Amino acid sequence: MPEFTDLLFFVFAGLTLLFGFLCVANPLSRNPVTSAMFLVLTIISMAGLFVLLHAFFLAAVQILVYAGAVMVVFLFVIMLLDLKEEARRKLNRVALTAGVLAVSGLAAILVRAVTAARPAALALKAGPLAEGDTAPLGRILFQSYLLPFEILSILLLVAMVGVILLSKKDLR
Amino acid sequence: MNYSLLLVEILVAVLGLGVLLADLWIPAEHRRKLGYAAAAGLTLIFFVGLSDVTETSYAFTAPGARTGMYVFDSLSVFFKEFFLLAGIIVMLLSVAFSDRFTTGVSEFFSLTLFALLGMLFAASANDFVLMFAALELITITFVVLNSYQRNRAASIEAGVKYLILGALASAIMVFGIALVFGSANTTNFNEIFLAQKQLAGNPVFLAGLAMVLGGLAFKVAAVPFQVWAPDVYQGSPAPATAFLAVGSKAAGFVLLLRVLFGVVPQITAQWNHLLVVIAALTILYGSLCAIPQRSLKRLMGYSSIANAGYLLIGFASVSKAGAAGVLFYLGGYLFTVLATFTVLCVILRHTDSDDISSLAGLGQRSPVLAGVLSLSMVSLAGIPPLAGFFGKFLLLKSIVMLGVRDPAYYCLLAVALLGVVISLYYYFGVIKAVYWGGGAVDLSPIPLDWPVRISLTVCVLGMFWLGVFPDHVVKLSTPAVEVLKPEAPASLHEKGR
Repeated sequence: MPEFTDLLFFVFAGLTLLFGFLCVANPLSRNPVTSAMFLVLTIISMAGLFVLLHAFFLAAVQILVYAGAVMVVFLFVIMLLDLKEEARRKLNRVALTAGVLAVSGLAAILVRAVTAARPAALALKAGPLAEGDTAPLGRILFQSYLLPFEILSILLLVAMVGVILLSKKDLR
Repeated sequence: MNYSLLLVEILVAVLGLGVLLADLWIPAEHRRKLGYAAAAGLTLIFFVGLSDVTETSYAFTAPGARTGMYVFDSLSVFFKEFFLLAGIIVMLLSVAFSDRFTTGVSEFFSLTLFALLGMLFAASANDFVLMFAALELITITFVVLNSYQRNRAASIEAGVKYLILGALASAIMVFGIALVFGSANTTNFNEIFLAQKQLAGNPVFLAGLAMVLGGLAFKVAAVPFQVWAPDVYQGSPAPATAFLAVGSKAAGFVLLLRVLFGVVPQITAQWNHLLVVIAALTILYGSLCAIPQRSLKRLMGYSSIANAGYLLIGFASVSKAGAAGVLFYLGGYLFTVLATFTVLCVILRHTDSDDISSLAGLGQRSPVLAGVLSLSMVSLAGIPPLAGFFGKFLLLKSIVMLGVRDPAYYCLLAVALLGVVISLYYYFGVIKAVYWGGGAVDLSPIPLDWPVRISLTVCVLGMFWLGVFPDHVVKLSTPAVEVLKPEAPASLHEKGR
C-alpha cells in the first residue's frame, strides 16, 4: 500500500511540474488561454498532492476555488486583453534574466529547506498534527486562529466596498 | 479568553461598520457630518479606551505556543495611542478634503477607520500570522484609499502601483513566513525568541527572516524597497497620503521593532552592519532625490524615505536607547507631517496643482497656514526648539558612542549629518516659496473651517511640546521599549574590552 501512494506522489508531482512548465513556457502555443488551461491542470494535480497528505478539505477548496472561481476571473481578464498583441510580444531580456535569477534563488532556498527538513533538525517539539477534515480545521480556525480570521473577514469587506467604489459607473 | 484587552480594536471596528451602515439613512448633503462623528468617536476611544498597562498580557493562544498571538504591553499601548491620535487628525483632514470626492464620502471615512484597525492590530501582533493579517488589512485598504479620486489619472496610477508592488512585497513576506514556520515549527514571537540560538545557524530560517524584513521594509519605504513612495504619495488624495506617511510607516516600524529586537535580537546583533548600510543608503537616497522636486507631495514622499532612514539609525544602534529614540522621532514625525498635510489639504482645495510655486503668496493669503507650514518644514529639517530636532538628537546620540568601537557608526553619523544639511536646502525652498515666491495671481484670503483649525492647533502644540518639553514623551517612550530585548553586537563588545 505505501508503494502505491509513493507512486501516486511521483505521478502528481511530475504532472504538476510538467503542467506548470507548459503554463509559463509552452513551446507549441503562446496563446494566454492555453496557458490558463494548463494552470487549471497544474492546480488539479496539486490538489492530488494535498489528498495524498490527507488534507482533503484543502484539496476540495483548491479545486472549487482556485481551479473554479479564480480561473474564471483569470479568463475574464485574459478575454479583455488584446491577445494578438500579447502573442506578438518579444521576450524582454532584462525581465528574463531577473526572472531566472529570482527562480534560481528561490529554488536554492527550497532545496536547502528540503534537505534540512529532517525530524531531528526541527528545533521545537512538533505541534498537534492537523488532520485534513473540516472539523479539526474548523476548530483551529475558529478557536486558536479566530483573531486573524476575523481580521481577514474585515479585509474582505474592505475589498468588496473598494471594488464597488472603484468600478461602479458614475455614481452620485 | 480576555476580550477586554481588545477593547480599542473592537470599538474602532464597530465605529467603522457603524459609519458604513449609517450611510444608508443619511442624505448625501449631511454625510460630511459622519466624519465629525467618527473623529469624535475616535477621540472618545483615545481617552477612555486604553487602560494603563500593569503587566504584559496575551490573548488567542495558538496550539503548541505558550503565549498568545495578541500581546498587550507598554509598547503596544504607546503605538495604539499614536495610531488613534493620527486617526483623529486624519479624520478631520478627510472631512476638510471630502468635498473633492465626487462619490463615496462616508466610505472614505469608514475605510480610514479600517486601515486604523489594521494598524492597531499590528501594534499588538505577537505572531507572524496576526502580523500578516494586520498588514494585509492596511495594504488593501490603502490601495482603495490611494485610488479614491478615480477621475484623476494620477490617483488611479498611485493605486495600481501600490497594489502591484504591495502584492509583491506581501508575497515575499508570506514566503519568508513559510520558511520561518518551516524551520522553527511555530509562528509565535516568544517561541521563536526562545529557540533563536538553534535557529541562528539555520540558513533557511535566516533566508525566511530576511524576506520578512523585506516585506516590512516595503511598508516603511526603506532602500531597496522605496521606489513606490514618491509616485504613490504624489497621486493619492492628500488625507490618504497623510495616513500612509504616518500610520502605515509607523505600523511597519512597530513590527520591525518587535521582530528585530523582540524575536531575534541575537541575529539582529550579527546583522548590525547591514542595518547601518540600509539606514545610510535610505537617508542618502531620500535627501538627494528630494532636491530637484517641484511637487510638494512628491517632495514629502522623498522626505518620508529620508525620515525612514533616520528612524533606521535607531535600529542600527541595536540598543534600547535607539528604540526609544525611534518612538520619540515617530511622535514628532506624526505632528509635523500631519500639520504639513493639513495645510496641503486646504491649499489643494483652492488650487489644483501641488507645485511648490503655487504656494506663492500664501504668506499674505493666510498667515496661519504659512506659519504652520514653515514650522513643520523647520521641524522636519531638525532645527531646535521643535520636535524634529530632539528626535534626530536622540537617534544620533544612540550611535555616537558606538563609533569609538566600530568606525561604521561614524560613517553612518556623517551620512546622517550630511542628510540634515541637504534637507535644509529643500525644506527651506518651501519656506522661500511661501513668503518670497513671486508670480502669485490670486491673493484672496483662504478661509479656515474649524476642523482644520483644531487639527492645526493640535499639530503645532504637539511640535512645540515634544521640542520644548521632551521629558514627558521620553518618560513614555523609555518604559515602552522595556519589553524589547536588544543585544549589543559582538564587534562592539570585543573591541571595548
